[in-house]
Amino acid sequence: MNREATVLRSPFGARLSFNALLTIALLFIYAPAVYLLLASFNPGLQLGLVPPDRFSLTWYVSLAGDRKLLSALGESVIVGAVTAVIATPIGLSAALAFRAMTARRGAFFLFVLFAMFVPGTIQGLGLSVVFKVLAVKPSWFTVVVGHVLWALPFAFTVCLVSLAVVRPHMIAAARDLGAGPWRAFRDVTLPLVRTGIVSSLVFSFLLSFNEYSRAYYLVGRYNTLPLYMFGAMNSGASPTIYALSGAVLLISFALVAVLLLGRRFRIGRSAGRPGNGG
Amino acid sequence: MKKWTDLNVSSGVALALTRRQLMQRAALGAGALAIGGLGFPRSSFAANEINFWASATLDIEDGWDIFKNESGIDVIFTDNGNDPGPVVAKLAAGNANDIYDVGGLQGGSEKELAKQGLIAPWDLSKIPNYETIWQWARDIPYITYEGKTYGIPAVINADSMIALEDKVGTVDSYAVIFDPKLKGKTAMEDAWINSAIFTAMYLKESENAPIAEPGNLTPDELGIVMEFLIKHKKDGQFRTFWNGWEQGVQLVANEEVWVMTGWEPIVYAARERGIDAYYAAPKEGYEGWGNNTILLKGAVDRGLSDTAHALANALLAGFYGCTLGQLRGYVVPTDNNVAYAEANPDAFDAKAVKELADHVKAKFAGKVYWQNTRPDNFQLYEEWWQKLRNA
Amino acid sequence: MSNRPHGAGRFRRPALLLALPSLLVLVGIGLVPLVIVTVWSFWSFDPDTYWITPEWTLASYSALFDTGRVPVLVRTTWLALLTAGIATFFAFPAATIIGMMSRPRRAVVLIVLFTIPFFTSALIRAFAWRLVLGRTGIVNEALVGLDIVEQPVEWLLFSNFAVVIGMVAAYLPFAVIPMVLVLGRIEPSVMRASEDLGAGFWTTLRRVVLPLAMPGVIAGFLFVFVVALGTSTEIQLLGGAGDSSIAIMINDVMRVVNFPLAFAIATTVIVFLSVIVILADRVLKLSRMFEDLGT
Repeated sequence: MNREATVLRSPFGARLSFNALLTIALLFIYAPAVYLLLASFNPGLQLGLVPPDRFSLTWYVSLAGDRKLLSALGESVIVGAVTAVIATPIGLSAALAFRAMTARRGAFFLFVLFAMFVPGTIQGLGLSVVFKVLAVKPSWFTVVVGHVLWALPFAFTVCLVSLAVVRPHMIAAARDLGAGPWRAFRDVTLPLVRTGIVSSLVFSFLLSFNEYSRAYYLVGRYNTLPLYMFGAMNSGASPTIYALSGAVLLISFALVAVLLLGRRFRIGRSAGRPGNGG
Repeated sequence: MKKWTDLNVSSGVALALTRRQLMQRAALGAGALAIGGLGFPRSSFAANEINFWASATLDIEDGWDIFKNESGIDVIFTDNGNDPGPVVAKLAAGNANDIYDVGGLQGGSEKELAKQGLIAPWDLSKIPNYETIWQWARDIPYITYEGKTYGIPAVINADSMIALEDKVGTVDSYAVIFDPKLKGKTAMEDAWINSAIFTAMYLKESENAPIAEPGNLTPDELGIVMEFLIKHKKDGQFRTFWNGWEQGVQLVANEEVWVMTGWEPIVYAARERGIDAYYAAPKEGYEGWGNNTILLKGAVDRGLSDTAHALANALLAGFYGCTLGQLRGYVVPTDNNVAYAEANPDAFDAKAVKELADHVKAKFAGKVYWQNTRPDNFQLYEEWWQKLRNA
Repeated sequence: MSNRPHGAGRFRRPALLLALPSLLVLVGIGLVPLVIVTVWSFWSFDPDTYWITPEWTLASYSALFDTGRVPVLVRTTWLALLTAGIATFFAFPAATIIGMMSRPRRAVVLIVLFTIPFFTSALIRAFAWRLVLGRTGIVNEALVGLDIVEQPVEWLLFSNFAVVIGMVAAYLPFAVIPMVLVLGRIEPSVMRASEDLGAGFWTTLRRVVLPLAMPGVIAGFLFVFVVALGTSTEIQLLGGAGDSSIAIMINDVMRVVNFPLAFAIATTVIVFLSVIVILADRVLKLSRMFEDLGT
């Protein structure tokens, strides 16, 4: 597959307009996040911008000591990670099933998708009723259960889209050469859908990390981050929450920078190596 | 470090320490705050853990550590979102009774929770401090059901409007909210629980509408009130409706609106941010509300009833009230707060605590209409609010 | 060679086995609670306990039409469609650049950039828009400062404009990711072939790339639509006085413990959306699009 740079030849006008739209899109996505980052250096209590000479790390220091917020963050990270790790294989298996089916594909497809349409509060409430009947104690795991359902259709779709690259003749060739179904999957399919799997993991994590309504009904004694944020916004938020978002942004940018620099060194070394065959 | 002794609310109340200051107080250590048995059950038991699931208005954050040292009760506070809908749903159909022990909620739902067996009545004999609660707070109708007390007033206040002095001058009537000259510069809360009452109060007192009880409207009265609101909404009178503390403060602090109905501490928050806001004393009166503590059935089943009662008692012992008053400007309706402050002068300013208490008492001595999440026609209220939303 | 992958019956058992985990999840976690909820929607509100009593009735569903709930459904759907449309419009060029017109390093960086803000709280990001678009916000300060307008522009905030901006900004990455997945996989040989046949860039894009990328585009549109439909944050924070959405309405109804009505609304939404998707599937042959994308 094309691991090499496949840069589509395009006229200048197309390049310009597409880049412009991409830039606009990024601007809109980042506007609030960057605002929050700048405002987090405002030592005052009101969310707002201050001139750089008044910047202060007050709220970042507070953040380090904000037990409630950090524990909610930890809770959300755990729930998100477990959700991602569970939802992705299930989504992948569903996508593989879809491809392997001969009949009733449409119905299966729609059935998997219907989980997206259920309003979150109702799904959460209904599920908590079931848990109550089954005498399952609410905890971070019950949240995971609810979130796996929420993330599954997304994981399924993402895996399905990325499975498009796996042509039946590739599998057939592998099988003809004597590979069993699992071996064919592991050696042929899996490498090809690696980006899809990573995307599905990240997607599921983010979906769970930001999910509020289902979590409200399924959570145990420890609130997840969205629940904490909602409560904070409702009754008095210390600006540490803005410091948290600022910190996330800064750390992410730092990681991107590392990524850029790392790649720089590695590309210099691997220049000239033939790309993987498709 | 800001001290708000020079804040001038209607009766000159000094309030609102920052969280930083509260943390410093905690660092002072419990030693500095030793009290002499002001109703605290002197801990003969080890620190008992109890899960307090309440509106964040009741949270004293880092103050719970000191509270634990003094009362022997380890309070694990979780925010319940302050919305009666999901809270009741989580109690009735969900798992709230499995994980929380004591609840704190806007008053009004006690009856149905009691009927469904989701909460247990308080045994007042185990709460000696109950007697210190101001009489009219104990008399709130919806906290008792069939002669038993289900809700213990934790916080009460009387609401009116926040106004910007330099924009609208001194206002003395809710008429400003509906004043066409202020079109697009006013706001109300996105909750029929409050906004219908304020409008009803205004219409009753200043426009002589045939309304008997603003807190409990008949279908006809409700129609008058809501039609009035719908008309003004269509005219573009309201910049927006706000929902929750941060939204309310932001509207005022960024001068997005010039006057709005809302909670008193928003004024303090605005002033902290340098805005010249004040709390109005309208002639039509105030809207009274209370957050009450309720005893969840699950706690009783788990054998935590005594600890829960100890908690309810400790909340009224003084430290909690003083701390909450300083942190959020809300009052726990008992005179124990003043007594505690006087006994601990290096922790709390007794004068400020007394002023806050008197300020609230004064408001309630005047015209106050009680908020109730369950007026007789509460479902009709919601239907009308939906019409308002669609308008 | 008898091992044809599409032999009748050959793949039925593996397919069932593969489908089992997801089916278990969907039925156990998804369907069972929904059945309960649907049954309860046909029961009555009990004015005595303020809970539900097992008396069968259609009252909730008729209340749905009588008490102005349908306009909210319509409006939320419309907003969600608009948001999804705009998001798709911006996502496609962005995904084309990332997937087809960038070196791998740049592509990865761009994709990561698109995802980063989503690690911060959506709630406070929406709140931040109030400070950007408000009367004393950055945009207005710039407009007034540069003398473009005399008074701050009011409709920038607490309007449909602000809601759509908030939602698009929040959910755009949802559209970009699936599109990048597909666009990044289109083989260069296909495009070279198109060029060799004399097609220019735009023609290639329209007649070759777009059809191949359709699953990703549909997926992206669907993701944004679904998430926008179920949200309440942006509408509550950035909308006009009392603006509602499906989620807000369900909450309103639950606040007055009219659970049967809340469940009726939810059931109606699910049915409504399922019908739309089934229709779209029939008309656009959606599920077929996700089948083998053989070239």
